[in-house]
Amino acid sequence: MALINILEAVNKTLEQQMEKDPTVVVLGEDVGYEGGVFRATAGLQQKFGEERSFDTPLAEAGIIGTSIGMAINGLKPVAEIQFSGFMFPAYNQIATHVARYRNRSRGKYHLPMVIRMPYGGGIRALEHHSESLETLFAHIPGLKLVIPSTPYDAKGLLTAAIKDPDPVIFMEPKRIYRAFKQEVPDEEYIVPIGKAKLVKEGKDITVVAWGALVREVEKAIKLVEEDGISVELIDLRTIAPLDRETVIQSVQKTGRFLVVHEAVKSFGPGAELISIVNEKAFLSLEAPPTRLTGFDITVPLPKGEHHFIIDPQRIAYEIRKVVRY
Amino acid sequence: MYDFKFADIGEGIHEGQILKWMFQVGDKVKEGDTLCLIETDKVNAEIPSPVSGVIKKLGGAVGDTIHVGNTLALIDDGSSAQPAKKDTAEAKPIQEGEENSAGVVGQIEVSSEVIESSTESYQKADVPTKRVLATPVARQLAKDLGVDINKVTGTGEMGRVTKEDIYKIKESTSKQSIAKEEPIVSKPISFKMPETTSADVTRVPITKIRKTIVKNMVISKSVIPHTTVMDELDVTNLVNFRTEQKELALSKGVKLTYMPFIIKAVVLALKDYPVFNSSFDHEKEEIIYKHFYNIGLAVDTPDGLIVPNIKHADRKSIIDVAKELQVLSEEANNRTIQLDKLQNGTFTITNYGIFGSTFGAPVIKHPEVAILGVGMIAKKPIVRNNEIVIADIMPLSLSIDHRIIDGGDAGRFMMRVKEYLTNPMLLLLS
Repeated sequence: MALINILEAVNKTLEQQMEKDPTVVVLGEDVGYEGGVFRATAGLQQKFGEERSFDTPLAEAGIIGTSIGMAINGLKPVAEIQFSGFMFPAYNQIATHVARYRNRSRGKYHLPMVIRMPYGGGIRALEHHSESLETLFAHIPGLKLVIPSTPYDAKGLLTAAIKDPDPVIFMEPKRIYRAFKQEVPDEEYIVPIGKAKLVKEGKDITVVAWGALVREVEKAIKLVEEDGISVELIDLRTIAPLDRETVIQSVQKTGRFLVVHEAVKSFGPGAELISIVNEKAFLSLEAPPTRLTGFDITVPLPKGEHHFIIDPQRIAYEIRKVVRY
Repeated sequence: MYDFKFADIGEGIHEGQILKWMFQVGDKVKEGDTLCLIETDKVNAEIPSPVSGVIKKLGGAVGDTIHVGNTLALIDDGSSAQPAKKDTAEAKPIQEGEENSAGVVGQIEVSSEVIESSTESYQKADVPTKRVLATPVARQLAKDLGVDINKVTGTGEMGRVTKEDIYKIKESTSKQSIAKEEPIVSKPISFKMPETTSADVTRVPITKIRKTIVKNMVISKSVIPHTTVMDELDVTNLVNFRTEQKELALSKGVKLTYMPFIIKAVVLALKDYPVFNSSFDHEKEEIIYKHFYNIGLAVDTPDGLIVPNIKHADRKSIIDVAKELQVLSEEANNRTIQLDKLQNGTFTITNYGIFGSTFGAPVIKHPEVAILGVGMIAKKPIVRNNEIVIADIMPLSLSIDHRIIDGGDAGRFMMRVKEYLTNPMLLLLS
């Protein structure tokens, strides 16, 4: 057991998998010598050498294109996109090749690769550093999308992602990279992709969140519990493929649904979740399925970001509104 | 003396960790020599010495965290300048606060807060109460009607509660609650009055006595299921008898009408059929038989209907009853009647015959259970012994509370009254 934060969990997992599996390599901007802008790959080049942990040019399309070639040829690349907002040059590679290689080759080839990228706001950063782009990946058939919210899940999900025979997008909530620590087993373990986590059982409302907002919802739950509201909290953990069953079962029990995400509202993950709830739990609903999301704008620069960030008060307000509908 | 402060080495770095000192206190350094190695969130940076000189003091040991603005090293470069006081103040070590820690870009919250270990299991909450399946529109309907939808048994697909299920529950519960209510209607059922302009109509507030009538009538007609039986009596004998005795009565100061005879006939019939002299306690489902005979008489006064009653009519002679009727009628019309004379009636007779009417469907005076309506006595051709003859005919209408009195009872009661009124001698003999 080690008491570590999410960032350390990512680092230790990469180290463990590189140790166990010589085909695992990490690459990206500043990943090798410097150990990554957030230190996620710190020490890996020193330990495993320049062939397995190396810097790339500032060319995201190249990072992913290279990874595709490596994966086809038997390696397991774990590519880092420095910030999810920088992934657009690579999006063509991801959407048209990464996601489709198994299908295109009629199952002859598959791409065992992971694309890591820190995502999300709340750190008073520059433009292109705060986006939540879940939809852009979850909407593409052939991609899995995973987002941990705790050190334990970060290790278990990243291990699962590296071992997955197909491409997995691994988005890391950088706002809580170092925000708290958790006991994490030293030995290898897997948190299955595609399985949501029932964080807390409750009676009155189902709240679904992931990433940095799980902790914010937990704070909000403390606020509404004073009003006698019993909240069931689900950490989705995997955005694609969605764990529909866990969500639906919960809503059938509570009759109310709130999804909270940082991503902007229109066509966001909340829209998909609410559709599923309407399709499968319609007859149990006591109130309209509701979403609390980012606004339909570019995440503001630090001066105005607090207007955008979803805090526990806003979540509590929304929970009360749905429960008292 | 040169105060070398740890500077922002780019991209908003706020702190770094000292990995290695290349020089120690007392060593000579040249400008540009690597002084130390600092690890930041982004890079491991070699920090060159800005000046040449002798190191007097190091800002921290290997492993220490140093913040931007803190003194990294004091180097004696031969300049006489002492570290400025404000610099000293500025260099006061920033506590390694969880809030102030830095990321590469922006500020990342850093904390050693420990969260609960992941177990994938969770505390079971209370078993939630049973929830039914229903469309949101059905749930809204249930809310609007005040029905607890979770208590409704659904008849729809997969047992879902339909709108019809909710309407049914609502109907049956409202029936139950009406039955449980006291048999008193305190408020008129509200409905919207048609719009009228002041030019079309005159609105007049009703009198107090009218308000009482309104209340009593609403109670009577909404609580008591009425039914009415009617009959025609050949009262030729009674008419003859009364005509004979009229003068005698007058000589005693009494105006003899038919009513005392009817009252006596009714009292005798009540004794034979005591249920007509009762009240019905619906809540307890009991019939209250009364052993006194207070016969009420509906009196038409200018202000409205008043029903005084003759107490213990069974103990009074026809002449006494006639006298009392006269007094009651006067008092009622003068509005000098005492309240007790209006209370505790057990059976009521209404004489609409004085207005020329024949039959009626009189309204029972709650909590009594029957009322006898008397129409105008008129000469009519009837068949007697296979011959058409002229007879004095008295039309009677008997309304009964059908909850406890059936049509057969009403018929038998009516026959008994008929017996006495067609043979007035029986009245005298009784």
